[in-house]
Amino acid sequence: MAQKRDLLFNAESVQSIESGCNEWFRTALSEADREAEGRYFSASGIPVKLLYTPADTQDMDYGRDLGFPGREPFVRGVYPNMYRGRMFTVRQLAGLGAPEDCNQRIKYLLDHGATGVNILFDLPTIRGYDSDDPEAEGNVGACGAAVDSIRDIDAYFKDIDLGKVSTSIVTHLPSTSIVIPGMYFAVAEERGTPWTQLAGTCQNDFIMETCVGSAPEILPPAASFRLQCDVVEWICRNIPRWNPISYNGYNLREAGTDAVQEVAVAIANAVATAEELIRRGMHIDDFAPRMSFFWDLHNDFFEEIAKCRASRKVWYQIMKERFGARNQKSLLMRFHVQTAGVTLTATEPFNNIARSAIQGLAAVLGGCQSLHIDSYDEAYSAPTEQAALISLRSQQIIQAETGVVNTVDPLAGSYFVESLTDQMAQRIAAYLSKIEEMGGLVKAVESGWLHREISAYNYKHQRSIETGETKLVGVNYQPAETAQCCNIDVFRYPETYTRQKAKLECLRRERNPRKVKECLEVIRDKCGSGENLYPYTIAAVKQLATLGEIEEVFREEFGLWAFPLF
Amino acid sequence: MTRKVRVVMAKLGLDIHWRGVYLVAQFLKDAGMEVVFLGNQFPEQIAEAALEEDADIVGLSCLSGNHMTLAPKVVRLLREKGLERVKVFMGGVMAPEDAVELERTHGVHKVFLPDTPMETIVSHMYESVGRPRHQP
Amino acid sequence: MSGGLAISPDRDRGPDLAAWIDACLRGDKRATARLISMVERRDPGASTILERIYPHTGKAYTIGITGPPGAGKSTLVDRLVNEFCKDRFSVGVIAVDPTSPFSGGALLGDRVRMTPGSRGRDCFFRSMSAGDAVGGLGPATQDVARVLEANGRQIVLIETVGVGQSELDVAQATDTVLVVLTPESGDTVQMMKAGLLEIADIFAVNKADRLGADSLALALAGMLDRKPRAAGAWRPPVCTTSASLGNGTRTVYDSIWRHHHHLRDTGELEQRRRSRLEKELRRKVEEELKRVLWDELVQTEKMSAWVEAVRKREVDPQRMARRIVTERLEAKIHRRTRMTRTKKEDHAGD
Repeated sequence: MAQKRDLLFNAESVQSIESGCNEWFRTALSEADREAEGRYFSASGIPVKLLYTPADTQDMDYGRDLGFPGREPFVRGVYPNMYRGRMFTVRQLAGLGAPEDCNQRIKYLLDHGATGVNILFDLPTIRGYDSDDPEAEGNVGACGAAVDSIRDIDAYFKDIDLGKVSTSIVTHLPSTSIVIPGMYFAVAEERGTPWTQLAGTCQNDFIMETCVGSAPEILPPAASFRLQCDVVEWICRNIPRWNPISYNGYNLREAGTDAVQEVAVAIANAVATAEELIRRGMHIDDFAPRMSFFWDLHNDFFEEIAKCRASRKVWYQIMKERFGARNQKSLLMRFHVQTAGVTLTATEPFNNIARSAIQGLAAVLGGCQSLHIDSYDEAYSAPTEQAALISLRSQQIIQAETGVVNTVDPLAGSYFVESLTDQMAQRIAAYLSKIEEMGGLVKAVESGWLHREISAYNYKHQRSIETGETKLVGVNYQPAETAQCCNIDVFRYPETYTRQKAKLECLRRERNPRKVKECLEVIRDKCGSGENLYPYTIAAVKQLATLGEIEEVFREEFGLWAFPLF
Repeated sequence: MTRKVRVVMAKLGLDIHWRGVYLVAQFLKDAGMEVVFLGNQFPEQIAEAALEEDADIVGLSCLSGNHMTLAPKVVRLLREKGLERVKVFMGGVMAPEDAVELERTHGVHKVFLPDTPMETIVSHMYESVGRPRHQP
Repeated sequence: MSGGLAISPDRDRGPDLAAWIDACLRGDKRATARLISMVERRDPGASTILERIYPHTGKAYTIGITGPPGAGKSTLVDRLVNEFCKDRFSVGVIAVDPTSPFSGGALLGDRVRMTPGSRGRDCFFRSMSAGDAVGGLGPATQDVARVLEANGRQIVLIETVGVGQSELDVAQATDTVLVVLTPESGDTVQMMKAGLLEIADIFAVNKADRLGADSLALALAGMLDRKPRAAGAWRPPVCTTSASLGNGTRTVYDSIWRHHHHLRDTGELEQRRRSRLEKELRRKVEEELKRVLWDELVQTEKMSAWVEAVRKREVDPQRMARRIVTERLEAKIHRRTRMTRTKKEDHAGD
């Protein structure tokens, strides 16, 4: 499609504005102001000028760089009517303790109008241990639901029509994304709900498994990446309305990167996945529409908005030019946003309400598809009812009271925001090239390069906090004379361990041990082959193999790996 | 030869957040301490490491809610091995009253909540073993 | 467990020290850990410790593991420890990491590779910082190995990062040297320059699942074949391993034992140990001499005058140094000769 030139300003006007600006700079500002120019930067290091004018966006071409919402290049938004047509989804957390307790909460939310359900898991489940494994000690049911077998998923969704809800099964790691969603699919099958009716997502990100979180036992990056691709491939072929992957920039950012790295690594992951799936015989338009992203909304207000817009731009360019995607849905980037947990402080926690609200606003101005606003007590615990309510209200205030949702991409055309967007897109592309030069993201992780980037960022960032260069209100900037104490209600999870343990004992008695053994042996065997493991894990969970048992096979067959930081 | 402070640093159990503990380890190294970094390990391994490495301090990082079960276990195991003099420090995310209880009842020397400056951590540690800061 | 050790924990002197040493010899880990610290720091009690444990040493089999950073040495060490423990050996490990030249601190990360499965094995693992040693292995390392042996460890593994001269250090300190490489280790010519070919008794090409591992193994084998070798001499095997998967560990383990038997059967083991002891003795003589020189002989209060003389170009540094040393030595000898003569004269009349 030939793009005509739609320059925003004519060259003569730009010139005249530019000289006017230079003159203003020389004469209207004090010496001190002029000296200070060049010393301001965005959080990721982009220089920030005192003033932006059309001269800063003179090369912008409306058709090429902005376009219309819902059309290439999708910079202004992925749907034509954006929030007028479809308000950003408010997802509420659910998932604490035993599956039976969660079931109550889900039913409550569904009764009160929620259409989407999140399940968060406890740490042992996240990392693939059964509730009675020694490694699970102290963590069963804390901060999430405990799931050991298909029976737990069944209990979680008791009396709920799986064909009518959209479920986000937050399995971060490929090694659990290949098991737990499988339990969900098997339960649906048992209940007679066709797979074509199931809608939902799982995260399935090998960066989560090998980089973002440390653990006593980690699978090697190449193995985790293989499982990631197995999940995407199988789900694309079998569960048409399910999104099998969400590239997680959020957790990577929280671990310690800047905005550019966050987006570039997530996109590099998508590129690597696309290349592998194409190698396996799929076509780009078979799976790209199902890929979505998950961004972290940090506190540099305009940079974060620019990041959202720039990420759509870079994705479009790669999908169009590099992979030749044709389906519109492959070319547009959808993303969920969570406000940055790492920016919240434990000191004067109510300040966090302001922080999260501002970050939430930036997310909306950036055109997110769904949003989660952190609760103010994030620094202490999983959110309490009251804190969760305030987050919900913050979103509703943005939606209903501010008017920002009435028009699409309101900041387009701002000289500053467009300049930032352009620069961010360039830097993201450059970082992506660097990763490509190393042989791709899997190699970059294996070699420890990404871990070192994260560690270097953290070190630099902490230094700048220690020196006061980075300001944290209430902490190192205008700290209160006396430490303010407020009563924080901490949510205590119910005693889940004993219940899960009893269930496991029962399960082990009731199942057919020979069949379980057989299924596990098949999985073990297929690990070494190039075959997609999904059908075999589903077969195993149907025989009541536990999550921990399947994960143990992966660990034994793929080996263990530790962060190459030493 | 001057006696350097030896610290064993660990993430408790399955806790996934490593940015903080790795940062603290680097800052402690910058402050002249010898830091034995364990990564994610469980109380028995942590106590065994403190024993073999003749640690002055054990530093535990905990952001996933298992602090009230696993951390007291570490303290208990240290005592059983005759390592009462080892000071246990903790860093992480927890309710302030949990921190108080860990210090008062469970033998944790000090809990550092989020936003604690690195310099504070370093000073506290040197003070706890009664030694001056190592000057290279 | 050290429940019965009723010693005040901070008194490392006098009769307490004797009790610590006895406890270590009896197998107590806590006492051993303390003694290692004292020996490492060259505390006042260190020489007592070394003197007392020395008769209990000399039998343990020591294995050095070296190679470039990132080769996977720590993982391989952990798996080898499992093998030794399975065969009922009591094992000691010393893992040496560099010291920061700026702060004097160190980040010692070799224990990270231990898996939850390592609980309960009969192993003493100690991390050490290299200190001022340029070569990556401090002089204290051998002494620490002796303490571990006194504690009952029959096998001691010493792991160090292969940078600079540390390969040579490790070769001089151990019976068998295992060099661990990966396809990313750089080209083979570089390795030859680093002297790795000369010191290695066994090669392990780790991360065998990666591209380039097989060709590296082949290239190494080729180089080793071309090296001239006496009849019956040991030809270092080249093993491929994937330590994280546990593959190939057993082969490395078996090679270590084969090397051990070879050294024993040819008498080379005793030879190497003897020559090692001689080097150590020489080194300690030099250390002692240095100490005596600076503590007792040289009148360091005259140093600024000497420096001034050299600065003014009255004399060059070489001559100045010789003068300082010989003058003092002659003076000492003179005095002693006079004293002896006086004594003889005194007794002449007896």
